[in-house]
Amino acid sequence: MSEKIQFRIRRQDTPYSPAYWQTFQVPFREGLNVVSALMMIRQNPLTTDGMKVDPVAWEFNCMEEVCGACTMLINHRPMPACSTLVDTLQQPITLEPLSKFPVIRDLMVDRSRMFADLKRVRAWIEIDGAWDIHQGAPRISPEHWRDNYLYSRCMSCGSCLEACPQYGQMLPFVGAAALAAVRLMNNHPTGKYHRKQRLHAIMVEGGLSDCGNAQNCVQVCPKEIPLTTAIGELGRETTVQMLKDLFGSAD
Amino acid sequence: MKASIHDTHFVFRRLHSLLGLLPVGGFLIFHLWENSQSRFGQTHYNDQVVGWLQQLNYLTLLEIFLIALPLLFHALYGLVILYNGKSNLSVYPWQGNLRYTLQRFSGIAVLLFLLLHVGWTRIWAIWEPAIKADLFAHMQGLLIQPSVFLLYLTGLLVSVFHLTNGLWSMAISWGVTTSPRAQSICLGICAFLAVLLSAMGVHGMLGFLP
Repeated sequence: MSEKIQFRIRRQDTPYSPAYWQTFQVPFREGLNVVSALMMIRQNPLTTDGMKVDPVAWEFNCMEEVCGACTMLINHRPMPACSTLVDTLQQPITLEPLSKFPVIRDLMVDRSRMFADLKRVRAWIEIDGAWDIHQGAPRISPEHWRDNYLYSRCMSCGSCLEACPQYGQMLPFVGAAALAAVRLMNNHPTGKYHRKQRLHAIMVEGGLSDCGNAQNCVQVCPKEIPLTTAIGELGRETTVQMLKDLFGSAD
Repeated sequence: MKASIHDTHFVFRRLHSLLGLLPVGGFLIFHLWENSQSRFGQTHYNDQVVGWLQQLNYLTLLEIFLIALPLLFHALYGLVILYNGKSNLSVYPWQGNLRYTLQRFSGIAVLLFLLLHVGWTRIWAIWEPAIKADLFAHMQGLLIQPSVFLLYLTGLLVSVFHLTNGLWSMAISWGVTTSPRAQSICLGICAFLAVLLSAMGVHGMLGFLP
């Protein structure tokens, strides 16, 4: 039982300092995941060169793949560190922070742009205003509910954005996560009252038309959200909305 | 609120997409069909194919408004779009991502090829009336050189790829295909169209050879 797991970890002390690499070893254990391996490194932050270093900083919270906080590049692909088992990975296991967001420290990144983009596309539901928007609880068919549920699983982990060739710190595109949120909110019985405003919010620079259909997003999404279906459906809705804007319509 | 049309970005992207098919893509299909008739010989090609086109009224206006201007907009706006992405094929070597990357490279390749192709035929013919009079002989003189033939073959294949892959992408952007199944069937149809158009183009090129 003396099997060891090797980790190569990209470290960065401050948002402005240069990155460097360190190698760590942890003893293998049945069912070991990346977060628990990082916890073992934190207990004994000794590199393979025998140097005592600062413990590796990273974020984690739910430990059941619903919060998205521990998403990092594991062997160069975005994955949630909590649900990624060490057995399934090729060694040495490389850990890096997501590359599309500013690094705070080591494996911690600042994903606040994701939330700014959710606000930008009005990814919320207004339940009251000057008057009641709906009367009584809105009813929804099981089929409709089932389709919407797929999109409600998004945990804003940023994997889709990491893999997207159109998304970047210097690029305006909001990415698949925010677009799928528009798909979800526009199909909610109360949310659809602001359908047009959300469509207009994505019919601008950085919106839907910045998608290049590389379809990496749907492949890396850990929650298996049909992101490219949402993009196609929004394509249809914005086509109709554009015709309404150009030629006029009561709606 | 007419936000979507007051913000030109969305309309320009959709216009770029639409012009790629109509008239630019439509013209490519017509052009390949037209030149596939080279196999019927010099006289037929010069008199029936080129001759018929050249006797059309308002031909210059058609060339400017149906070919040159839409193509120019599609090409120049395409260059703008290039700046909005960064290929990551080495990390994610998947076929969708490969086509995304090839779509961008083929766009540049088609643009370079067209500068040469239009220069060698349409532009050169402005000073050299002999080219217009016997286009078949002119094309034969070009294509008989193996390097030019290879260049034309490359130009043909990248153009056909750019059109058919663009058509697949366009179907998603405009919301024609939404489900993964519809997108996959559409990819099959576009691939079939690519083979068909390539065959037609190669057939036309071979027809010019003696």
